[in-house]
Amino acid sequence: MSTFDLPRLKLPLTPAAARALKLGDLFLLDGEAVATVGMPTQKRMVSEVAAGREMPTPMRGGAFFHMGVSYDEVDGRPGRLHYVNPTTSSRFSGLMPALIRELGLTSVGGKGGLSHESADAMREVGCVYFSFVGGASALLSEGVEEVVDSAWNDLIMQFRLNRVRLGGFGPVTVAIDAHGNSIYERLMTSAQARLPEILQGLRAPTSPVDEKH
Amino acid sequence: MAITYDLVKEVTANLYDWSLRRIPETSKSALRDAVETETVPHARKTLAFMLDSAETAERTGRFLCSDAGVPSYAVKIGSGVRMQGDIRQAIVDGFEHLVQTIQPPILRFVTHPLTNERSYRGKDMPLVSYDLLGDVDYMDITCAPKALGGGRWAAIETLVSPSLDEIERCILEMVMRAGGQHCPPVVIGVGIGGTFDHAAKLSKDATLRPFGEHNPDPMVADMEERLTRAVNQTGFGPMGVGGSTTTFGVHVEYASGHGFTPVAVSFNCWINRRTRAKIHNSGVVERIE
Repeated sequence: MSTFDLPRLKLPLTPAAARALKLGDLFLLDGEAVATVGMPTQKRMVSEVAAGREMPTPMRGGAFFHMGVSYDEVDGRPGRLHYVNPTTSSRFSGLMPALIRELGLTSVGGKGGLSHESADAMREVGCVYFSFVGGASALLSEGVEEVVDSAWNDLIMQFRLNRVRLGGFGPVTVAIDAHGNSIYERLMTSAQARLPEILQGLRAPTSPVDEKH
Repeated sequence: MAITYDLVKEVTANLYDWSLRRIPETSKSALRDAVETETVPHARKTLAFMLDSAETAERTGRFLCSDAGVPSYAVKIGSGVRMQGDIRQAIVDGFEHLVQTIQPPILRFVTHPLTNERSYRGKDMPLVSYDLLGDVDYMDITCAPKALGGGRWAAIETLVSPSLDEIERCILEMVMRAGGQHCPPVVIGVGIGGTFDHAAKLSKDATLRPFGEHNPDPMVADMEERLTRAVNQTGFGPMGVGGSTTTFGVHVEYASGHGFTPVAVSFNCWINRRTRAKIHNSGVVERIE
């Protein structure tokens, strides 16, 4: 797929810019985002915001992605990037509403989507969810220019808050918009509604089970 | 001649390394076909991007995914095989050596299930199953690393004297539970019958079957075709953001049992990491995938 002709979006988005994005739109991303795949990281983030403390790297109004980052470490600082790739966001759904609200995040991302409660928080704040293509690390990594900073370095590399600078990162799909619409919810609802018909079509032509035995 | 510790250590480490950088040929063909047959334009673009990225990884030696998963091997041993040294330990040591030397480095994914502590090593790691083959003089080793997309959504349900319709409904329910979260288009492996553990293993083995190969039993092959069609009617699509390509194939295996019928369903994400080689008594290594 030629991604060159996709429209570009500069991060961080303003809430108004987030609200202007439509479900299903494809973009390439520029600008900065903070990425992690750590459950302990996000639990710590939730306790920090609950205690009224700031994050160790600026995140207010920013972009926060569920994405693994691998890089060389030079004197305790991020060096050359090796690769990135999204992880499943849905397992963090319990933590995301608080983070979206408290940090005023304007974009989040990863793969697999977030819960209805997260989408509610996104609607209040003016925030979208971007779906990245999992398993496409070879090409996605080309859209990351640099690992700018890392925080909470007591955690393993992919669990840290890794700040990345993006240059044409993507393609990304707007999979939950800032108005409470979620592709994931729509697809699940539609698949559930279609299930009886699918099961009807699935039926074996003849049942091979001999009821007498 | 015999199959030595050193050779098994080297081959199993290489199989893992290779699996991180290229997708199976039959997965590439399935992606190429799906780019043509997918009905949703956005999904066609995603499939084309997947194919492009997989080909880039293979050409440049980059990783397919940042999640190297945990190493999982299926080892089948011919009864004519002669072994020299501790073959079990060879696989452990091969992985240990690999994580210290592989470039680019892999991240820590081996997780202690009780503490969530992450490392490069752990109890029972790598995960290996051993089976016996017939009277052949080789060892057939498949490596298939497991990450969220290839492990998280697996499920099992035990039914009692079910009809075929009930079994198929049960499979579809597990498919619905996973939705589009496992990086589709996935391979779906179904194991039916035997016991709890046996059905689970059949299901895992079924995910390792290359696309395009059908169960030799016509009744089961028909089931595979109908289930594949049904799963693709759900509409979850590539990456679960909509489309007519949710699976490249449902593979079904069964074993006789007692009448209580475990139905196990497992998935593997679109990169479908899998490599395979045979090691002969002569020391010749034959790479299959």
